[in-house]
Amino acid sequence: MAKTYDYLFKLLLIGDSGVGKTSILFRFSEDAFNISFISTIGIDFKIRTIDLDGKKVKLQIWDTAGQERFRTITTAYYRGSMGIMLVYDVTNEKSFENIKNWIRNIEENASADVEKMILGNKCDLDSKRQVSKERGEQLAIEYQIKFVETSAKDSLNVEYAFYTLARDIKAKMEKKQEASNPPGGRSGAHQLKANEPQRKPTSWLSRCSVL
Amino acid sequence: MSTSSVDEIPDQSKDLFTQDGVLLKNCVGRPVTDLNSIGMLCIVQNADGTKCVEWRPNDLITIDSDTQDQEWAVVNTVGRRQRTLSGNMTSDYATLRARIIKIPLEELKTFKVTRNNQQMQFSTKQGVWQTTFYFQHGNAEIFVAYLKNHVKTAKTRHDRNTYVVVEPNVESQVLNRSFAELDIFTENTTDVVWNLVSNFKQRPYETTLEAFSKLTDIVYYGNEGLNGKRDVSEEVADLLTKSMSAMEDATTITKNEEYEVVSVKPTLPPRPCIPRGTPLSTEKWDALQDKDGRITEVEGVKQLIFRGGVAHSIRQSVWKHLLDYYPWQMSHSEIRAHQKKKTEEYFSMKLQWRSMTEGQESRFSEYRDRKSLVEKDVNRTDRTHPFYAGDNNPNLVVLQDILMTYVMYNFDLGYVQGMSDILAPLLLLLGNEVDSFWCFVGFMEKIASNFDMDQAGMKHQLLQLQQLLMFASPDLAQHLAQKDSGNMYFCFRWLLVWFKREFSHIDIMRLWEVLWTGLPCANFHLLICVAILDAEKDVLISKDYGFTEILKHVNDLSMSLDVDRILSTAEGIYHQIVSAPHLNDQIRIILGMEPLNMANSAHSGNSDRQEAGTSRTQTNGNETRTNGNEHTGPFGQDIDEVMYQIGLDMNF
Repeated sequence: MAKTYDYLFKLLLIGDSGVGKTSILFRFSEDAFNISFISTIGIDFKIRTIDLDGKKVKLQIWDTAGQERFRTITTAYYRGSMGIMLVYDVTNEKSFENIKNWIRNIEENASADVEKMILGNKCDLDSKRQVSKERGEQLAIEYQIKFVETSAKDSLNVEYAFYTLARDIKAKMEKKQEASNPPGGRSGAHQLKANEPQRKPTSWLSRCSVL
Repeated sequence: MSTSSVDEIPDQSKDLFTQDGVLLKNCVGRPVTDLNSIGMLCIVQNADGTKCVEWRPNDLITIDSDTQDQEWAVVNTVGRRQRTLSGNMTSDYATLRARIIKIPLEELKTFKVTRNNQQMQFSTKQGVWQTTFYFQHGNAEIFVAYLKNHVKTAKTRHDRNTYVVVEPNVESQVLNRSFAELDIFTENTTDVVWNLVSNFKQRPYETTLEAFSKLTDIVYYGNEGLNGKRDVSEEVADLLTKSMSAMEDATTITKNEEYEVVSVKPTLPPRPCIPRGTPLSTEKWDALQDKDGRITEVEGVKQLIFRGGVAHSIRQSVWKHLLDYYPWQMSHSEIRAHQKKKTEEYFSMKLQWRSMTEGQESRFSEYRDRKSLVEKDVNRTDRTHPFYAGDNNPNLVVLQDILMTYVMYNFDLGYVQGMSDILAPLLLLLGNEVDSFWCFVGFMEKIASNFDMDQAGMKHQLLQLQQLLMFASPDLAQHLAQKDSGNMYFCFRWLLVWFKREFSHIDIMRLWEVLWTGLPCANFHLLICVAILDAEKDVLISKDYGFTEILKHVNDLSMSLDVDRILSTAEGIYHQIVSAPHLNDQIRIILGMEPLNMANSAHSGNSDRQEAGTSRTQTNGNETRTNGNEHTGPFGQDIDEVMYQIGLDMNF
């Protein structure tokens, strides 16, 4: 079967229940918004192929249930993800505070070099805002993670967020590729993908042993 | 080289046939050092007249010079082939003799020739190919030809290279005897076996219950190719071979020595097609109540509901009974009193959270968290249904009030995502806040473990589902395992909210009321999963779906499933499972049946076993259900222990 893409990236949306993960995904994959979404039970994913600097990049984006209780199940799907969107709701202080917990959750369950990005969603609801943009930026600096405020409803920065994350993954991938391959190497997306899981235990374990 | 006389050999055995150039490739229980040594494979007649297949390593024997260049020699007509012993019979000899392998023909069950006549395997035990020989000259068929002079074998259609010993195989004698003991046999055995097998097709469970329940031996039988009369030995051969080959598929070779049976996947009896019934009608429902409104024939009512569901016009009353809000035996007047009491109880709990001040709330984070979760979910529950659609819909307020009151009713459990899905259809049907609350409480009793903090209940069910699937649809279970999906996480949504997201409102009412009856067994909802998956088996396997495709495919089944067909299939699978001769305790426990091991040591004996799958099972399943706690049945402790152990093995 002919390959319809150059790269396949697995991305993950995580964050508290009701912050708008499914809405962000729906906006990105269907360019639509529906006020009466249903809560996500279990896990699902959507696909969108984007064009990035002349390469076709297929994004497989996983959407998870947010409630803490389901984490033992949802973390099973972290494996192999190359990029993670950490989502909070600017109108919900608690969801912002929990970003730290989600980051810890990633460190425990995802590949150590996974690309991350923090999204402050529902920025259209300015009257209900509880978390300022500055606090979001401050948190991002603290963790050295890119940050953007989004609105799935108004289609603000959603495209930008996914393109940015995908571009960062692609850059990282190509950098590794150059390092491991002598100049003139062919496109090695799959080769790199295969290497990915093997790297995880070492980096993760070494971190453990330091602790 | 001195030739010793036959008489000097300590045993009086006689080689009937010998084949040189045979390597021992594998033998259960033998040290690795014994393997790959070359030797001679013989058919030997012992002093007492019994026969065996015997392999001797070459360093034990040398061949007479006159036959040395022969690859094999027929000896049954010329008598015993001479043995030449180099050196005297010392302790070395004893050691060497210990390396001889003997397979008594009366114990031999099956053998097969593979790898283009280069390999031959023997088995004396169901499920294990104990011994494997490699024929250097690629002529195993000749050994087989001679072996067949001494045992009666049958080839099978499924595998031309496998032979099943039908005589003097002990097992098959037992099998024949067992068939003979079923009084239904008046003709010769061939007809009898054929009739029995063909009866499965027409009257699957009658035949099973009549005949097979009387069998104490394990009998495996096929579920296909039943058209046309066949020789009984071939039939039996097929059955046994099928079990053998099935077991071989599930067999792995440990690195150095032996074959180890990992799991067994014999076939199930054919699936009966069970038509659905008509819904419980108003007339029937009225007739089932006495003049005071008491319902005494509870089991009968449940049977009717299980078979056909409930007519929509009487759902409101019937559901209150099914969900243990109204006790079945209460009269109209008692119910009125009961309802009054329950209404007061509800409103006192509602008042507890309604009277909470903002200040209290600000100092009560656990309450705040629960409230916030409820609010978020109420706003996204069934909003496409007219009953819950639109801004400022008053039904959403009721939905929220009930869920908040439930938080006070069971604060430790609190609110967990999925609960609003469970409640919405109840409120939609009943329309009344108090009734909906208590019916919700009753439903939650049945599925409380779905919402465990550590998700132990969900994991437990997913594990049980995996085990049921392995039993009922092993091909699919194995495919899923190969694709990293053996944990069945892709069925999580189905189980958490009892398929609420998979069916329309109309269909979910039907499915739920059937499941609430607790019939025909415990955990019937898991068999619903098996039925849905079984229908997708061909797609999942033939398209070689992987981890992500499996999840996507299963998620996308939502709203495209036929509830009646699935209920019918699930019931069919239930009957297949309980009439399977190899039904084991693991599966019995999942379905709420008494485990056989337990039954033997306790009060019940054989008569109980015969009733497996009939009323006794249902009662058990029912008791488990109505207790609302699947972990504490009559054998609670042991289930927990067994499941815990299995869980450990599964890395849960």
